[in-house]
Amino acid sequence: MIRLSVTARIALLSIALALVTNAALVLFVRQQLHRNAIAALRRDATEQADTLVAVYRSGGLYAVRQAITDAESPPDPTLVLAVLDASGHNLIGDAPADVSPQPQTEIVFHIGRIGKRGRWAQVETGYTLRPIGRDWLLAGRMLADWEAEQQGIERALLLALALSLALGIVAGLVVTRYVVGRLDRLADTIAGVAEGDLSRRAPDTAGGDAFDRLARQLNAMLDKLERLMAELRIVTDSLAHDLRSPLARLRTRTENALLLPESEQRDAALSGLLAETDIIMRMLSMLIEISRSEAVSRERFTEVDPAALIEEIGELYEPVAEDAGVHLSVAIEGEPRPLALHRELMTQALTNLIDNALRHAAAGREILLRLVQERGALVFQVEDRGPGIAEADREQALRRFGRLDSARTTPGAGLGLSLIQAVAQLHGGSFELDDNAPGLIARIRVPA
Amino acid sequence: MTRKILIVEDDIATAGYLSKGLIEAGYATETARDGRDGLFLASEGIFDLVIADRMLPGLDGLTMINAIRAAGIRTPAIVLSALATVDDRVDGLKAGADDYLCKPFSFAELSARIEALLRREDRAASEKQQTRLNVGDLEIDLLARAVTRAGKAIPLGAREFNLLEYLARHAGQVVTRTMMLEKIWNYHFDPGSNVVDVHIGRLRRKLEEGFSGPILHTVRGAGYRLSPEA
Repeated sequence: MIRLSVTARIALLSIALALVTNAALVLFVRQQLHRNAIAALRRDATEQADTLVAVYRSGGLYAVRQAITDAESPPDPTLVLAVLDASGHNLIGDAPADVSPQPQTEIVFHIGRIGKRGRWAQVETGYTLRPIGRDWLLAGRMLADWEAEQQGIERALLLALALSLALGIVAGLVVTRYVVGRLDRLADTIAGVAEGDLSRRAPDTAGGDAFDRLARQLNAMLDKLERLMAELRIVTDSLAHDLRSPLARLRTRTENALLLPESEQRDAALSGLLAETDIIMRMLSMLIEISRSEAVSRERFTEVDPAALIEEIGELYEPVAEDAGVHLSVAIEGEPRPLALHRELMTQALTNLIDNALRHAAAGREILLRLVQERGALVFQVEDRGPGIAEADREQALRRFGRLDSARTTPGAGLGLSLIQAVAQLHGGSFELDDNAPGLIARIRVPA
Repeated sequence: MTRKILIVEDDIATAGYLSKGLIEAGYATETARDGRDGLFLASEGIFDLVIADRMLPGLDGLTMINAIRAAGIRTPAIVLSALATVDDRVDGLKAGADDYLCKPFSFAELSARIEALLRREDRAASEKQQTRLNVGDLEIDLLARAVTRAGKAIPLGAREFNLLEYLARHAGQVVTRTMMLEKIWNYHFDPGSNVVDVHIGRLRRKLEEGFSGPILHTVRGAGYRLSPEA
């Protein structure tokens, strides 16, 4: 089967629809006119017959003859008025000799050919036949004129139909042009984007019709795509950039290790190299973990007692903090019920926060791991008494690879907080930084 | 008796590196290039351990291990994989691997895990339920959860006890930091700071301060070893 273009199909459809509706209309009009015309004819014939019957009653057959003659002058070739005897013979007026309806039964109104010869057989007549004394009165009208009139109307209707077909084609082309034009603009935008120009947007989005909605949706999608691409570019750039420095360190240390004369010194230098390699590996696996956690399914969640989770982490880090001269304590407010969590990712997020606190806020000598049951939410928070993060800098701190200038000198990939953010989002929650006056509060809020 | 290890790895360089290292460590090795060959060889049941890459041509590592298990062969298996997220590891372990190691790994890590697995098999085969572990003059009562060294009681926290028990069950072997994180804390990620070292440091102080000699040794670049000999 030949697949027509969308344009052709829309045009054909609209033409076909115009044709069908107009044809139905024309048919209806024709039928209506026809019925009205027949009703008028019938009324005429009946009235004429009534009049003549009344004339017969008052003046007899003579008066009827007079009346018929009057009615025929001037002569009207379509008018049929005649009196027939019981065997069908013509007594008065003009009627075929072989009138086909045998005057035995009264006919109220009938359309048909009344004779077998001459003009009577060519044209139909609308007539009525009723008794008048011992004879029969035939009254009616031949349909020659009427038919011509009908044909005229039908011709006009056919013409209208043809006109509507032409109009349908025009309308179809206009509609198609409009639809295809608007679709083309969207398609152009998409083609532009596909060619790499991510800043292209669909025009005319102010209106409220379906095309405008489509354009708006398309633009929203493109906005998101552009943002993601930009983010990806930043990530790739920063990744390449941030990998350079540990790799450069690795290279320098390798060179130095090669130059060491003593094998024992060389061994020590080599294990330093391993540690450096591990930093790079950690950076990469955390990055993978972040991008994966943005698409982890809920099946990974298990029922976890949040208090036990927090206490376990506290216990794990308490000695680490103590070695760093920091007192780490755990506070649990209320009685949090078990809830579905990704235990490992949540633990990893919290240990990242503690690591950050130990790295940047050890001078504060205090870290508090707090679990707060709020209405409809559970808050895991890590509070320190360090320098905190100025409000203006918090957004920068949350960005992937975002490192505050003050942190550039300490080793780290700047991935910790964005992993935490990803974990919070995975749980349908949020991550925020707040002022502990003095110090920093890092808060993971999870709906519960 | 030399232990036989089957290596199923399609990357020739990695397979060579594994084979060389394992032979140097005193094992006999055989290498299969894909999952089908691996399954065929492992079905003989003559190996003490299988090391399989997760992503193999033909039959992937986890499917291969499942097929080996289905054939009734209990040979312990370690899966190596470049898939390194927490969920990947947990999936690998759930799928029937006895251990899961992410690439790249240090050879020390692999060899510690191989030893731990082989030891576990031996224990399961020979020993009955143990209630007491002895390492030199260190005595661990598993029922009372009490520890004495040279007859002197050493009070330990619950986690410290678990740590010591794990080390004692692998006495003489290297136990790595990640093994301890996985087994003691059930964490399949690397917490970054030296948390394990700090806990070991504390345990070591309790085990060694005031006693005759070191018993909990640091193995550079690998982990720790509990042993009366240095």
